[in-house]
Amino acid sequence: MNTIHLDDSKTLWERWQRNAERNPDREAIVHWVAGEEPFRWSYKNLIGTAKKFSVRIKEAGIKKGDVCAIVMHHNPLFYPLYMGISRAGALPAVLAYPNPRLHPDKFRQGLEGMAQRSGLDYILTEKELDPVIRPLIEKPGSTIKSVFFPLEWDYNSDTDPEADAEIEKISLSVRETEPILLQHSSGTTGLQKPVVLSHRAILNHVLNLGGGYKLTEADKIVSWLPLYHDFGLIACFQIPLACGITTIQINPFEWVLAPILLLEAITKEKATLTCLPNFAYNVLAEKIHDDELSQINLESLRLLVNAAEPVRHDSHKKFIDKFEKYGLNPLSLAVMYGMAEVTLGLTVTDPGKPITELVVDRNELSRGVMKLADKDSVARVCVSSGKPLNGCEARIVDENRKDLADGLVGEVAVKSVSMFDGYRNYPEKTAEVVENGWYYSGDYGFKYNNEFFIIGRKKDLIIVAGKNIYPEDIEDVINQVEGVIPGRVISFGEEDEKMGTEQIAVIAETKSESEKEKNDLRMAILKAGMAMDINIHKVYLVPPRWLIKSSAGKPSRKANKERILSREDKQVWSR
Amino acid sequence: MISPELKKVILTELNLDDFDLQDTTMAPEVPGWDSLNHVNIILAVEKSFNVKFKSYEVLRLKNVGDLQKLVDVKTGK
Repeated sequence: MNTIHLDDSKTLWERWQRNAERNPDREAIVHWVAGEEPFRWSYKNLIGTAKKFSVRIKEAGIKKGDVCAIVMHHNPLFYPLYMGISRAGALPAVLAYPNPRLHPDKFRQGLEGMAQRSGLDYILTEKELDPVIRPLIEKPGSTIKSVFFPLEWDYNSDTDPEADAEIEKISLSVRETEPILLQHSSGTTGLQKPVVLSHRAILNHVLNLGGGYKLTEADKIVSWLPLYHDFGLIACFQIPLACGITTIQINPFEWVLAPILLLEAITKEKATLTCLPNFAYNVLAEKIHDDELSQINLESLRLLVNAAEPVRHDSHKKFIDKFEKYGLNPLSLAVMYGMAEVTLGLTVTDPGKPITELVVDRNELSRGVMKLADKDSVARVCVSSGKPLNGCEARIVDENRKDLADGLVGEVAVKSVSMFDGYRNYPEKTAEVVENGWYYSGDYGFKYNNEFFIIGRKKDLIIVAGKNIYPEDIEDVINQVEGVIPGRVISFGEEDEKMGTEQIAVIAETKSESEKEKNDLRMAILKAGMAMDINIHKVYLVPPRWLIKSSAGKPSRKANKERILSREDKQVWSR
Repeated sequence: MISPELKKVILTELNLDDFDLQDTTMAPEVPGWDSLNHVNIILAVEKSFNVKFKSYEVLRLKNVGDLQKLVDVKTGK
């Protein structure tokens, strides 16, 4: 099979354009909508429309280096718009479209936090969000210059050749070390860490992750992942377009309601590769009736990449058990580990080979030592995340950032040719996590036979269905709920084995005593979470002074999580 | 009009004592009814009424009233 043709392009726009020249009629993007004929962008048409958008971008006053947040539903015009922004030398930053439950104030607060930190210059969105966003633009001191509605723009008429030539000139002036895009880590109240990536970082990553996936010209990548998430944006949008292959984009909102859409798209488009966070394996394996699967054929799939949240052995097993009879090759399952700070991928298992799994002694592991389980052990299955990609390195280090021997648990430190250039406007945060070119990930794991196994996190981040959530965001809001003792709240991720992911739990101190008061308080806590589009799965109410404090005097998330999950305290009310 | 049976299934699945479920109520208005939980609620309704929904039928549901109508059609009411 033909390997991917990667030329010496210095920027993504140059690469996209060359791909369009080489294979003008090849499908670039198949925009999938449930129950409709998909919209199919050829490389030629995609580039042509992107050029028209780039002229409109310039006419709107957007300049090279400006950051343009895109907040849009699943729409076929998203892709050329994104590329047009890039051609004009500006930086696209994809943000999540607000869920109806998210309170407008919270949405504005999130945007404001991002604007202050990342320096968002423009928001490109849909008309229906105008009333929500406008007050933010008009607020004194706002750094956001304007809001535009690109779906209303004329992208069919011919553009002025002179304007087009001017933009081409701007595009040619962009150097490979200059930024191409900005991604935000999760968080809603200003805790987001904006990651800026250069053309060179992405192009290197295309080479190295594409190599890790063993991509060929025959590959087709199908994805339901949102494009504001690095797994969706890099693995399923940037990489296929830079490689000149086809990507099939499914609406994430539709997929969660009808997970079968992914299987239909694989079957109809004969897709070869897809990327899924762990919970999706559970959903696909357990939430679709067999009688709906009669037309499904997964024989074309050669690679399913599990990443973005802890990988669970049971999820893979359920998935294989369910779909082997529909043509799934069990060896097509693979695992990747990475983070936005290295563009995306750091390690990956070998495509087409079995994933290494170690059955280890859980108690020894919690003491920081990987010991293979024996007959007396309480066992835990650890799933390998593979070996570092070309251009990447990884080490396991202790709390002083000194190397640990194989089999000892420590923090994962990483280095990559696709490393980020630091958090934008956040040098103190960058300095905390980057030292001598190594990024200290905050993830815990061990190395064994040159493979890396990720087993937990040093930081208190909660990952729900692949989405990162900071407990601080939740605690800030719950602290304001009447009946909760201010400052006496913690939140944490609680394992949900059935769904194959974590769910959000809250422990709050309260003086409420009666059952009714506690039920009312729980409802108020759930509603406060809803207003920030956070689903609190479990509420634990405890009496005053119950929470264990850390040495810094604040309630300790780790100690209180362990205490609550021991389930031995009769003072705890939970629901 | 949402039947007491459907209301009970939904509230039980969401671990809620009570919530005013109307025909026009949409999932994001109900505590706990997020996209991750949606599929569990649908499966619970199917199990309780001994019916099966097609994925595309679920996709077309806009509110609780639509879900009630779908249950009624499936149960022959």
